[in-house]
Amino acid sequence: MRRTRHVDLDQGRIRLRIPRLRWADLFVEASLSVLRHPGRSLATVIGTILGAAAFVASLGLGTTLNQQVSSAFDSRRATEVMVQPETGVTSASWLEETALSRLRRLNGVVHAGRRTVLSDRPIARTVDQAATAPSFPVIGADPAAVRVMAPELTVGRVYDDFQERHATPVVLLSEPAARRLSITRAGVAVFLDDRAYTVMGIYRDVARRPEAMAAVIMPYAVATALSDSTAAPDVLIETAPGAAQLISRQAPLALRPEAPADLRATAPPDPRTLRDDVESSVTESTVMISAAALLIGTVSIGNAATAGIAARTGEIGLRRAVGGRRRHIFLQLILETGALGALGGTIGVFLGVLATCVVSLANGWTPVIGISSALAACAVSTVAGMLAGLIPATRAARIPPVQALQR
Amino acid sequence: MLRMRGVSRTYQDGEPVYALRDTDLDVAAGDYVTITGRSGSGKSTLLNVFGLLDVPSTGSYTVGGVETATGGQALRGAIRGQVFGFVFQAFHLLPGRTALENVEIGLLYGPHGRRRRRQLATEALDRMGLSHRMAADPRRLSGGERQRVAIARAVAGEPRVLFCDEPTGNLDSDNTDTVLALLRKLNTSGLTLVVVTHDEAVASEGGRRLQVHDGVVIER
Ligand SMILES: Nc1ncnc2c1ncn2[C@@H]1O[C@H](COP(=O)(O)OP(=O)(O)OP(=O)(O)O)[C@@H](O)[C@H]1O
Ligand SMILES: [Mg+2]
Repeated sequence: MRRTRHVDLDQGRIRLRIPRLRWADLFVEASLSVLRHPGRSLATVIGTILGAAAFVASLGLGTTLNQQVSSAFDSRRATEVMVQPETGVTSASWLEETALSRLRRLNGVVHAGRRTVLSDRPIARTVDQAATAPSFPVIGADPAAVRVMAPELTVGRVYDDFQERHATPVVLLSEPAARRLSITRAGVAVFLDDRAYTVMGIYRDVARRPEAMAAVIMPYAVATALSDSTAAPDVLIETAPGAAQLISRQAPLALRPEAPADLRATAPPDPRTLRDDVESSVTESTVMISAAALLIGTVSIGNAATAGIAARTGEIGLRRAVGGRRRHIFLQLILETGALGALGGTIGVFLGVLATCVVSLANGWTPVIGISSALAACAVSTVAGMLAGLIPATRAARIPPVQALQR
Repeated sequence: MLRMRGVSRTYQDGEPVYALRDTDLDVAAGDYVTITGRSGSGKSTLLNVFGLLDVPSTGSYTVGGVETATGGQALRGAIRGQVFGFVFQAFHLLPGRTALENVEIGLLYGPHGRRRRRQLATEALDRMGLSHRMAADPRRLSGGERQRVAIARAVAGEPRVLFCDEPTGNLDSDNTDTVLALLRKLNTSGLTLVVVTHDEAVASEGGRRLQVHDGVVIER
């Protein structure tokens, strides 16, 4: 039909105008419908509120936890470097004191020392028990290497540089070894190959190199004198936080400038890559959960909108009777469900942020919430509302006015 | 002004229901037409076709010389909104909106702006004697008041024809009298009325009385 048309009534001509869309009126109608029926509106958006809240809370808690996890990773593992010879390298010049002092001068090296891991040796309380004695791995480590491993002593103390230099026969026992040997104090002797060693201390835990957990530790000079063909000498380094990667590249050159390729330095994975790994795995699972939550929210707003609109056929029929066109009905209903989605999204984001903060603070974490996830939740909820309204609004707009007005 | 030629309405409900059969009818401006008949005889069908709420199955129906059956949704909507007004037995007022806002909905899809709509709605409620109830929610109005709000909504846009389907069906005799007086006044001021009723008192108001028997319209 043309924009205007005339009908001739007996009193004269009437200019008919095709009812036009007035956006302001539509917005007012939609918001009145939403605001004047809080019960109906709440029933429609409750799923969206929960969906958006779950979305923001799971992402928020995900990133918060992530931050926790990676800072835990950073503190210990990322400060350790181990240097070993490549297979076939026989020269031991890189283990000499001059080489080590070059290494210690590198910026970022906290401690660096020699270590050698021997195969299991029988250790006894008395000489005559040697045949039935239990065996333990023996680790030779100079005081600097011991500092890198950082054993937690429950009894006694660690040997010092003087004892290292003079190859004094002393040992540190791990708790499992001490228990097997029924030793609870320092000062007593144990026997290894008929030779007596004084127990200087007992340790419970090590911060680095877990292979030391059930071993015995003795001065490096003492261990090398035991002449073991399986002995594998290496250099342990503790670095400043964040310096492990750099030191692992510089260490071979510092220890063996004439042939750095003979040495292989291993550092734990770059904490940043590590963090990215953790982050992406945390994010992947949370995104799945959140997407499911939002999907449920959309479905529920769709259901509720269908029910809510079905209950309003009388109103829709009336609007058609007084000249409303199908598109007016359709657009008003879409605006309503869109507004409800936006509203539900906003409330949900608020609740999700609240939940993240409460859980974080209760656990002593620092809450981390991305603005983008909050905005995304609002945007997705709005779009979800409009999509959810699509089917019921289309259906409602198709209802013939007569049918809608039948009581 | 309203002219039906050979109009019929058949419902396809399994067996076809001939709710309105081959009808020729003219309604002139200023007429007060009442339609009576037994339940199920086809009164509402006739009124709905007249009011362009429904489309005839066959025949020609012109409003002011414009053929409506072939004119499309937009034309019928425009005529309904700007030339016709409707009053229903069930009022069809929106809960959660004030009486004034309900009357404004009658004007919402018409040519007037927001200010003018409010003004026309206020005047219409005034004429119905409801100036003091403009802010009330229809759920808190009496039956008679509700129907007067509904009539205000129907006439606020100054339509030429008012269609009423059992306008007093839900009212007691006092309220029926009030509504009938209002309708009479509207007719006197030039509004054409088409009223379906099964109440003899309402039917006798009409200057022209039609009776429907099994879809056949007879002038009485
Ligand atoms: N949508 C429909 N589908 C099928 N049949 C219908 C439909 N609407 C009405 N009818 C039938 O058409 C006939 C006329 O119905 P109509 O509503 O016009 O009667 P009425 O005279 O208004 O009755 P009442 O006084 O009870 O309101 C009835 O037999 C009815 O069952
Ligand atoms: Mg009827």
